[in-house]
Amino acid sequence: MVVVLEVSETEVIRSAQSGDRNAFSELVRIHARGVFNVVYRMCGDALIAEDAAQETFIRAWQNLSSYRPQTPLRNWLYRIAFNAGMDMLRKEKRILPNAIEDLNLTDGRPGLESQVSQQERTQLVQKAILSLPDASRAVLILREYEELSYQDISSTLDIPVGTVMSRLNYARKLLKEKLEQKLSQVEAEYV
Amino acid sequence: MSNHVTEWLNAFYDGELKGKRLQQVEEHLAACEVCQHELDALQSLSGMLQEVRVPEFPSSERFATQVNLLLPQKRTPTPGNRLFEVGWWMIPVGLLAVWVFISTATLLGDAMSTAKNFGILDNTTASFISAPSETVVVTPTLGQFGMLQGNSLQWAETTENLTRSWFPQIVLQASVALLYLTWFAVWWTRHTRQISEPLLEG
Repeated sequence: MVVVLEVSETEVIRSAQSGDRNAFSELVRIHARGVFNVVYRMCGDALIAEDAAQETFIRAWQNLSSYRPQTPLRNWLYRIAFNAGMDMLRKEKRILPNAIEDLNLTDGRPGLESQVSQQERTQLVQKAILSLPDASRAVLILREYEELSYQDISSTLDIPVGTVMSRLNYARKLLKEKLEQKLSQVEAEYV
Repeated sequence: MSNHVTEWLNAFYDGELKGKRLQQVEEHLAACEVCQHELDALQSLSGMLQEVRVPEFPSSERFATQVNLLLPQKRTPTPGNRLFEVGWWMIPVGLLAVWVFISTATLLGDAMSTAKNFGILDNTTASFISAPSETVVVTPTLGQFGMLQGNSLQWAETTENLTRSWFPQIVLQASVALLYLTWFAVWWTRHTRQISEPLLEG
C-alpha cells in the first residue's frame, strides 16, 4: 500500500513539474497541514504560520523543477517552510521571546491551586520552545512533533547526523533546565 | 557507577541506536539509577512537549484553493530569460567551434609547412596559407655575437623553433579550455544551487 502511495505521489509531482496546477493543488492538499504545523511550532503564531505555509507552497511551485525525487517531498517542503517561517517573522518584525522569564503565570490567585494548571504549563512549555535557538528548535520540532528519523532530519536541514544529535541533545537539555527552574518557581508562588 | 551513557540517551530514547552501542546502553541502564533517571526525565519532557497543541487549521481544500489563486500564472520563462538561456547554452557551442577552428588551422598550417619543406608546394602557394617562415630569429643573432656555438646553438634554434610554432597554439587551446571550465563551473553551481540556501545555521 505504501509503495502504491509513493508511486502515486511521484506521478503527481511529475505532472506538477510539467506545469499542471491541479496536480500541484493535490500536493498542497496532502502536505498543507504538515507544513502549517511545522511553521506554527517554529514561530508560535497561527496567522504568521498560515502566511508562511502559503509562501512555502508558492516557493515550492516556483522551484519545483529543481526538486529531485531522491528526497521525500515532505522533507523538501519542510526545508522551505522553515526558511519561509523565519523570513515571515523577520518581515512581520515579531520578536520571539529570548527567554521565558517574561512569562508571568501568577494571576493574582495565589493558593488557588497547589499545582500549575495544565493550560499554564502548556503556555510555559511553548514559550520555552520558542526561546530555543532557531537551529536547535528546528531539529527538536522535526523529531518530537514530526517524528522524523535522525537521517531524515539530516537531509531536511542539510546538516550531518552528528549535528542533528548534538543540536537535539542541546535543545532538550536547555528545555529541561528552563522548565525545571520556571515550574519550580511558579509552584513555589502558588504554595 | 562510572562511565554513564548520558551522551547516548537521546539517541537511545529516539530508537536510533543499533548493535553493540544499543546493547551497551541497555546493560548500563539496567544497572545505573542515574542514567535511568535521566531517561525518565527525557520521557517526561517529551510528554510535556506533546501537550502543546497546534491551533485549528483551515481545511486543506480551502487552503489549496487559496494557494492556487496566489500561484504565479505561468512558470514559463520570459522572452528575456529565454534569450539568456539560449545565449548561455551557445557559449560551450561557440567555444567548441573556436577549438575546432584553431585545431584545423594548426593542422593545415603544419601540413602546408611540411609540404613546402618537401617541395610539394611552391613558395607562392604556401605563402597564401602559412606565414613567412621567419621561425628562428633570436638564436642566430645570439650566434652572430658569439654567445652560442656548435651544439648549444643547434639546441637553441630547435627550442626557439618549437616554441614559436607551438606556444601560441598552446596558449590558445589553454584559453579555450579555461573558458570552458569556467562555464562548466558556473553551470554546476547553478545546477546544484536549488532553493535551499543554508538553513538555520548556528
